[in-house]
Amino acid sequence: MSKPTPWLRVLQLFALAAVAVGLVMALRAPEDAFQGEYARIMHVHVPTSWLAFLAFGVTALGSVMWRIRRTRRWDRLAAASAELGVVFTGLSLATGSLWGGAVWGTYWDWADPRMATTALMFFVYLGYLALRRTTDDPEAAASRSSLLGIIAVVQVPLVYFSVNLFRSLHQTQSVRPGGATMPTEMLVAMLVNLAALTVLYAALLATRMWVMKREEEVELAPAAGAGVAPPRLEEVGDA
Amino acid sequence: MSFARQVAEFCRRDLLTERRAGEVVSIVTPFGAVALMSFPLAFGIDSALLSRVGPAVFWVVVFLFTMQIALRHSAAERPQQRAVIALLGVDPFARLLGRTLAAAILILVFMAILFPAMLLFYSPDLPDGWPVALIPGALAGIGLAQVGTLAAEVTAGLRTRTTLAPLIVAPLAVPLLLAGSQALESLASGGSILPWTVLVVATDLALAVIGAAIARPLEEASL
Repeated sequence: MSKPTPWLRVLQLFALAAVAVGLVMALRAPEDAFQGEYARIMHVHVPTSWLAFLAFGVTALGSVMWRIRRTRRWDRLAAASAELGVVFTGLSLATGSLWGGAVWGTYWDWADPRMATTALMFFVYLGYLALRRTTDDPEAAASRSSLLGIIAVVQVPLVYFSVNLFRSLHQTQSVRPGGATMPTEMLVAMLVNLAALTVLYAALLATRMWVMKREEEVELAPAAGAGVAPPRLEEVGDA
Repeated sequence: MSFARQVAEFCRRDLLTERRAGEVVSIVTPFGAVALMSFPLAFGIDSALLSRVGPAVFWVVVFLFTMQIALRHSAAERPQQRAVIALLGVDPFARLLGRTLAAAILILVFMAILFPAMLLFYSPDLPDGWPVALIPGALAGIGLAQVGTLAAEVTAGLRTRTTLAPLIVAPLAVPLLLAGSQALESLASGGSILPWTVLVVATDLALAVIGAAIARPLEEASL
């Protein structure tokens, strides 16, 4: 069994260091005047939401490229990114719910389009992962799931712009082309966490793709019994 | 054979198979009616509450049972059948469209039977001009047929088809559910059905474009 390449090790270590720095900055960032300590959830909630969008975008890219090139590498990219996207969407929902419970007084509000559309996106990609597991043939899994990977990504802009399309409890984007609606120290801490978690996503993506490749090699390797050769006819005759 | 003729032939074949098997009319529809009747038993005998939730319950039942219609066993094709159809040079989109059309007709029949049943069981206070809300309702039924047929094609031939397809479909069909159910609510509050009609038409068109774009890859994937 081959070992991870040195650059993958470096990326993993760099990701851990970046997340540690981000954590420290999130804890040292100033308190919010109204929300107090609860506002620190933002340093995890915003980056995980952003990474969910990025991950599903990468899944769509991998799916399109698989349909064009038909190489395993693109399918592994799509599948690994979808897995991470589901994890980050789950984290985004969990942190958002905790934040909402503390600040709005409710953990879940059906009238909030961002919550509802994010939950739907989560379930669509759970379906994507379930679809991949229905067959042992990697080509068949790639063929079917690539179609869903391309269709499902249309939800990403819908989720992102839902706060602009419908007025609800959820605030609109805090960082816009015209500037940010928060103090510089808070913004810097959030952007550092955004960068740190993006590096973590890259490291996890590369690691998961590496693991998938090894799994495929194991699947293709000859079974243990095949190492024992059957007796040849001439050997039987000599006995 | 022209494209339109191919569509008509696939639709006719699916409807003929359904007429012989009777899966939707004699099994799914009575089961849907039972589901519609089971909600009042769960809620308790509260006429005012039942009158208020009746239309919403109708849409939940339609939403869940249209998946059964789209994934009906009688419409499932064996790999050999699919291979022959592909080898004959049939346009994959014509096949998908024909099958969607058949599913849409069956879903509209299902809705047409269940709607009077809902009126009977729940006695909802329908606003003036409520028949207008049937337009987005029917369009939502067509959209459900589209999304259900697409999911049935994506999962064709898989062992877990009947459980996996609804998982894929349910979140994607939410705009249709919203449009179908909220049109009546909007009328009741003095509003217009136009925004909901626009939403359901846009969703139907988007699904049609997606179907046209992926019909051929879907056929390749399922062979």
